[in-house]
Amino acid sequence: MISLTINGTRTEVREGTTILQAARFLEIPIPTLCYHPWLKPFGACRICTVQVQRPRGYELVTACNTPCEEGMVIQTDTDHVRQARRVVVELMMARWPNVPIVQKLAAEVGLEKPRFISEMRDEAPDACILCLRCVRICEEVVGACAIGYEDRGIKRKVVTPFHEESEACVACGACAHVCPTGHMKFEPEDYRGKPPEFLLGPNTAIHVMTPQAVPKVPRIDRESCIHFKTNGCQKCVEVCEAKAVNHEMTDQELEIEVGQILVATGYDLFDASVMAQYGYGRLDNIYTALDIERMLNATGPTGGQIRLKNGQPPRAVGIIHCVGSRDENYHRYCSRVCCMYALKFAHLIKERCPEAEVYNFYIDMRAFGKGYEEFYSRVLHEGVNVIRGKVAEVVQAGWSKQEEGTLLIRCEDTLIGKLREIPVDMVILCNAIEPRRDAERVARLFGLSRSPDGFFLERHPKLDPVATSSDGLFVAGCAQGPKDIPDTVAQASAAAARMLATIAKGVVEMDPVRAEINEEYCSGCRVCNALCPYEAIEYLEDKNVSRVNSALCKGCGTCVAACPAGAITGYGFSDLQLHAELEGLLAVR
Amino acid sequence: MPYRVHCMVCAGTGCVSNRSLEVRDALENEIRKRGLQDEIQIVTTGCNGFCAVGPLMVVQPDGIFYQQVSAKDVPLLVEEHFIKGRPVQKLLYKPPEAAAPIPKMSDIPFFKHQRLIALRNRGLIDPEKIEDYIARDGYQALVKALTEMTPEQIIEVITKSGLRGRGGAGFPTGVKWQKVRQAKGEPKYIICNGDEGDPGAFMDRSIFESDPHSVIEGMLIGARAIGARYGVVYIRNEYPLALERIQIAIQQAREYGLLGENILDSGLDFDISVTRGAGAFVCGEETALIASVEGRLGDPRARPPYPAEYGLWGKPTCINNVETWANVPPIILHGWEWYSQIGTERSKGTKVFSLVGKVRNTGLVEVPMGITLRQLIYDIGGGIPGDKKFKAVQTGGPSGGCIPAGMMDQPIEYIAPDGKREARDYLDLPIDYESLTDVGSMMGSGGLVVMDEDTCMVDVARYFLAFTQDESCGACTPCREGTKLMLDILNRIVDGHGTMDDLRALEEIAWVVKQTSLCGLGKTAPNPVLTTLKYFRDEYLAHIEAHKCPAHVCRALNTYRIDPVICVERGHGCGVCRRECPEKAIFGEKNQPHRIDQTLCKKCGVCVEVCHFNAVIVE
Amino acid sequence: MPKLKIEDLARIREQARRATLLREGAGRVKITVHLGTCGIAAGGRNIMTAVLREIEERNLHDVLVTTSGCAGLCSREPMMTVEVLGQPPVKYVDLTEGKVKEIFAEHIVGGKIADRYALAVGSERVM
Repeated sequence: MISLTINGTRTEVREGTTILQAARFLEIPIPTLCYHPWLKPFGACRICTVQVQRPRGYELVTACNTPCEEGMVIQTDTDHVRQARRVVVELMMARWPNVPIVQKLAAEVGLEKPRFISEMRDEAPDACILCLRCVRICEEVVGACAIGYEDRGIKRKVVTPFHEESEACVACGACAHVCPTGHMKFEPEDYRGKPPEFLLGPNTAIHVMTPQAVPKVPRIDRESCIHFKTNGCQKCVEVCEAKAVNHEMTDQELEIEVGQILVATGYDLFDASVMAQYGYGRLDNIYTALDIERMLNATGPTGGQIRLKNGQPPRAVGIIHCVGSRDENYHRYCSRVCCMYALKFAHLIKERCPEAEVYNFYIDMRAFGKGYEEFYSRVLHEGVNVIRGKVAEVVQAGWSKQEEGTLLIRCEDTLIGKLREIPVDMVILCNAIEPRRDAERVARLFGLSRSPDGFFLERHPKLDPVATSSDGLFVAGCAQGPKDIPDTVAQASAAAARMLATIAKGVVEMDPVRAEINEEYCSGCRVCNALCPYEAIEYLEDKNVSRVNSALCKGCGTCVAACPAGAITGYGFSDLQLHAELEGLLAVR
Repeated sequence: MPYRVHCMVCAGTGCVSNRSLEVRDALENEIRKRGLQDEIQIVTTGCNGFCAVGPLMVVQPDGIFYQQVSAKDVPLLVEEHFIKGRPVQKLLYKPPEAAAPIPKMSDIPFFKHQRLIALRNRGLIDPEKIEDYIARDGYQALVKALTEMTPEQIIEVITKSGLRGRGGAGFPTGVKWQKVRQAKGEPKYIICNGDEGDPGAFMDRSIFESDPHSVIEGMLIGARAIGARYGVVYIRNEYPLALERIQIAIQQAREYGLLGENILDSGLDFDISVTRGAGAFVCGEETALIASVEGRLGDPRARPPYPAEYGLWGKPTCINNVETWANVPPIILHGWEWYSQIGTERSKGTKVFSLVGKVRNTGLVEVPMGITLRQLIYDIGGGIPGDKKFKAVQTGGPSGGCIPAGMMDQPIEYIAPDGKREARDYLDLPIDYESLTDVGSMMGSGGLVVMDEDTCMVDVARYFLAFTQDESCGACTPCREGTKLMLDILNRIVDGHGTMDDLRALEEIAWVVKQTSLCGLGKTAPNPVLTTLKYFRDEYLAHIEAHKCPAHVCRALNTYRIDPVICVERGHGCGVCRRECPEKAIFGEKNQPHRIDQTLCKKCGVCVEVCHFNAVIVE
Repeated sequence: MPKLKIEDLARIREQARRATLLREGAGRVKITVHLGTCGIAAGGRNIMTAVLREIEERNLHDVLVTTSGCAGLCSREPMMTVEVLGQPPVKYVDLTEGKVKEIFAEHIVGGKIADRYALAVGSERVM
């Protein structure tokens, strides 16, 4: 430990502590500019100058990078220090008079009237003040070294090599993050290729999906994480006290033996940009329902406010139902949940933007559930305009100055029998609920059937909506078909109960009609494995024979017929039994 | 047949650019023509130092010194001196206003008052022949260091001798060696700083060109003392001849096994590589130099840690100036008592100075510390030409200060004559503002520019500041912005637009730049300004308040006036000035006194130059 | 070139001793061979050659040889002046190569002036 005195206060610090760190520990303020806690101290700006006592006088040193020595006597606020800081800031003001952080420093050091004007004066408020933080972070933390300096002295500039777009840049935005003036700008694009003034998705490589996520733990996005691009950074590892961050983690494949499976793999949303006439992804201020859900959420990017891209609240909003549903060209089915959430949106928009006009464009209003119709009435009374008719297209308006940026919804109002053009500021598309993109693969994996609309097939639409044609295999939720939350919960509980019942029984009743493989005759050719529609045949490697899982076997007889060795018997339908039946029938006179 | 005459032809850069090699070739031809090639040896040496009168030649054993020799003088020279033994009078050195020439080099005042230690071999050896160096006790100090002394003893000798860094900072060399020796890290490095960026300085260049092996031997001894494995000679790219000679020397040393492994069977492994500079003055600063050697941008970095602990490639590194290394072998060979008897109490030994400017005998001299300015300028330098009044000497180049005429009898050494430490010394650091303006005689790296009454001190400060401002790396705010603003103020002052506010601002900025800059360049850049402000404040005031330049150098402040009497009586109103004036500002008729219209005059000074009768008075 | 040993350094130094001293203008003995027109006509060049040969054969390192013009006494050429450090110069006249040999043996190496060949001891001051 080293003992030293700062401003008359004695203190002890560990070896290697800098004067700035010691002062901060004692809560003695020292102004800084180029210093940043993530970076090695550089000493470029010289603002953090302090005075150190020496045997024959004093010396001015920079606090950020001078290590404490035993017996040091430091003063941070003498006349000399104040004069030095004031002149240094004055030198900066001569060059960058309008940069907010420089002006703030000027106020801090008591500089009232800067005397000088530099030949290289830059009046921009976001001028580069040569603090060199961007270059340092790119080199020390990110490890990409994509920017550097050119020229020397007063002509020094921060540039990319040869002024060309840097190939080494990994677009992490670290430079913009530490830039004190905003000279370094980071312009990320969200997945739609649009520069988001507010991002509807996560905006850092390590993030918690939403504050209401379950489980509420951070995850690292491999695509944008700096460590995966340059092997540098790992600041998250440094700051995590629990040492919980591990970049080496990979997906693990686990093998678990189970008796029953519940498939609840959910849904995907219809990609509204396919319907080009609605302008999603092409025009501004056109959102899908999920986007708006995020925006309306109190923990979302706008804090629950409805905002256009320019930050203003909309004057009029159009909500278009049945985008991709009830459509001969895309999905013929109804997505069930959209009408109600569209009305919810209308209600909330009216609540949060009372001045806004809201238009719902629908085909049929499906308010089938408990309290749903009443809610619809309420919404109508709140002044929401409902227009029965499919929307033909959404275009940019703009004949007059007032309409600039406005969207125009062209539709047919079938109730009044007219074509209408309605100017709105924002359009919300209620896009259809679709089966998951990988539904076919999952179906094949489990031996599930699918209904014509692509969702998994239940055993009976009325009498058995949770089971499938395979025993022990259940389906619940939107994997089976679009449904809202109460219905999903009900279905899931039912499936769980069914599964528990089987477990509680302890035994599985099997159909006597089933197949069995004679292991003596089986040669392990495995033809039957692939043929079984119920995936009921497994292959035993050590014995090189196949075996029928009686619990799954439905006794369809496919394997019996297919087995080249004749090793499989269908109980109740063996050759002997069939012969006996035939003889019995033929014996009757 | 042994040679009876050695003819030493100077082949330093100065004489070479004045065609001394042609002289050598002519000599060789003539000697061969006369059949004397077995009796007379022509040797090309490094710089002799008396560059004002080159190309030079010294004929030994007679010790006759010839100056301004050209190839066409050679036949006469050979005939008269080599054959008939009569020195050629017209080529001998003759001081101005002297009756007779001084034939012998040892009698010429320029040489007589010098004491050669670092330059001990100059003019006596062919720098491209290692045998010549060995013949003059070369590498004997290394033998002594390897066989009779331990590394600790070597460091003790260097420390006791009082040798201080000759690059300008004057840090005690033995202390630095000890620090590096004690530092942890392998391998350790030795660097020879040959960047020599000061404009007009050529001490280090001369050592490389005349006696490169002295540097190599010094580095070898240092390697033994410190425990270093590798050495780097950093030489600025603008010195092609010096570069060539040091490379030849290293090559020859390697061939003789004096560099490499198990040198002289002592177990010492050491080799030297050469790195060239790339044109930045700031790379004379040690951390910027290290960055340059490592291939990085030549920006200095904050210290601590000092290179002694964390230097080249992160390892302990000892950096010393060329002249410092050249002093090491004699100290080891002759002992520390011998060395410490030369010089003053605090500054031991000798120093090489480049004596330039308004002085008759410009060139390179090595003198004991403690010599006074008067001795340097008048005894060695031959005084100010034209009998002008001596004004001041600028020492240490752009980092240096000035010594005014009033201090002419003070001994020159590392500390100021009033006893206060001023040069950057690691043991004690620069003091408070009051004594900073007290800056006195400061040695610097050895550049000495003599100035007479026709020099404007404000312009001198501006000249040096323009240099450092251009060479600033731009990393830290005070140096980058401050030097430029100071330069702007000085430009305003010499243009006649300066105000007293400007002067106050100039002093304040200078103080802040000196106190808060990151590296030595910034910390010393204001020195010319501060010292001229201290000793020649009246000149600044004249520029600002009276709008006059006392030395008439700052043209914007001059007034040009034609003396009507001289113009008519001597010049007969010739009208040349009227015709030559680019502004058509001069009026007059033939045989009539001419006059200058001050409102039109742009102060270009052409009229002064073209008037044959000196009728134009500058005020 | 082979790697040097410590002895080699001393050896090279010794070998170059003559050149070193010569360049410093230091030597124990200085011989001036007079080569003015009269001297050359009388055969002074041969005397010079003889002197140099003696130096080489005797392996002398501390003898400097220089020339001068006419000394004034043309009738007694060829002449040479031998100056031993600390002693007045001695002029030897009417030289032949044999006499040179003897003078070397007696005076330069032996230290005793060869009177019979000497003109005078001491001389007028020369520049």
